[in-house]
Amino acid sequence: MFYDLSGFDVVSIVLVLLVILTLFAGVKTVPQGYNWTIERFGKFTRTLSPGLNLIIPYFDRVGRKMNVMEQVIEIPQQEVITKDNATVTVDGVAFYQVFDAAKASYEVDNLQQAIIVLTMTNIRSVMGSMDLDQVLSHRDEINERLLRVVDAAVSPWGIKVNRIEIKDIVPPNDLVEAMGRQMKAERVKRADILQAEGQRQSEILRAEGAKQAQILQAEGRREAAFRDAEARERSAEAEARATQMVSEAIGKGDVAALNYFIADKYIKAFGQLAESPNQKVIMLPVEAMSMLGSLAGIGEIAKATFGESAASAQAARRGSVPPTTPVPPAR
Amino acid sequence: MTAILTALGAWNWLIFGLVLMALELLAPGVFLFWLGLAALLVGVLALLLEPGWQLQILLFGLFAAAAVPLWRRMARGGDVEVHATNPYLNRRTDALVGREFTLEKPIEGGVGMVRIDDTVWRVFGPDTPAGQRVRIVAADGAKLTVAAL
Repeated sequence: MFYDLSGFDVVSIVLVLLVILTLFAGVKTVPQGYNWTIERFGKFTRTLSPGLNLIIPYFDRVGRKMNVMEQVIEIPQQEVITKDNATVTVDGVAFYQVFDAAKASYEVDNLQQAIIVLTMTNIRSVMGSMDLDQVLSHRDEINERLLRVVDAAVSPWGIKVNRIEIKDIVPPNDLVEAMGRQMKAERVKRADILQAEGQRQSEILRAEGAKQAQILQAEGRREAAFRDAEARERSAEAEARATQMVSEAIGKGDVAALNYFIADKYIKAFGQLAESPNQKVIMLPVEAMSMLGSLAGIGEIAKATFGESAASAQAARRGSVPPTTPVPPAR
Repeated sequence: MTAILTALGAWNWLIFGLVLMALELLAPGVFLFWLGLAALLVGVLALLLEPGWQLQILLFGLFAAAAVPLWRRMARGGDVEVHATNPYLNRRTDALVGREFTLEKPIEGGVGMVRIDDTVWRVFGPDTPAGQRVRIVAADGAKLTVAAL
């Protein structure tokens, strides 16, 4: 094959091939998101960051290609016994990121497995210290506690756990059913209480209303009575005043004035009797006759009122004073 | 085989160089581009000087080796460019340096806790009471060093 080539020819060919292979071995392009560790004769020396890197072939070789992006691991399902002896099935997720590729490569063997196991055991310890109700309602607290413990535990490995989230917490079926019944009972109880409360309130309100109505009625009656009494008082007062004024007037004036009034009314009454169509016979009591005598008082009033001068003037005009005669009763 | 070697001509070198460059596009980052450049250079020299095929091959090896320092300079330039656009890609802790936070747990025995972006970070530094504002002064991997303000 190469029988017609000299030694120099072959050496030059091999040398060029070796150069090219060496170049290929020494040039390392690390993609973004990864850090590669370099081992010189099996001992870690440095970390290659993303981009083009040169290593010395024959001495150096790439050890681990460590992913430095944030990664998510599924935490597999496991059964956890809570403080009140309920067995629940729990799974979750953990997010972690490698910050120190060398530590993550060489401080721990099988990093993901280590994180998973660590998280699982801590889920057990955290949930084992809580009641079932707490476990179901305090997920944030569980996540927080897990994160603190696990993050502190993994820090020697040059990684950071950013989040641990409990995904599903599944209590056994009979427990779920019991919880359902409990909730239903709770709601029914609340409904009953609310109804009773409503009834109580409405009864109270009705009674209050009735009471108010009665009070108002009584007040109305009281007010009316007061007003009635007042009216009676007022009329009595007026009567008294009137009587007083009359008696005063009588006191000041003459009995004859009274007689005049009475006679006046009397005559008017007679006039009315005379006009009435059905009865023309009038029985007069004896005293009525004497009442008529009071008519004589009229003249005297006239005298008192118009004075003597008027009376004399009249007398002068007519020559005589007309005699005051009792008016005969109408027949 | 010898026929191929003796037939190495300027045009074949040029074709070889272009093919290598094309392959670089299909498999990027494998240094083929530089080999392609070396082959083109050899092709141009062969056109001008017509050296023997052994010399051509040796020149090719020489150029390929010489491409390394050249390429490193370019790579570094590329690095600078990357750092300008997004200097903290995959270097989350370095991005935190200089920011200020409130201590959630006091630093006792050199280790405390702050809450950053909805996760907790262990921080290291001189003992400080909780609630104190601290500034992150250094980041080494996942280890943050703080100083009280």
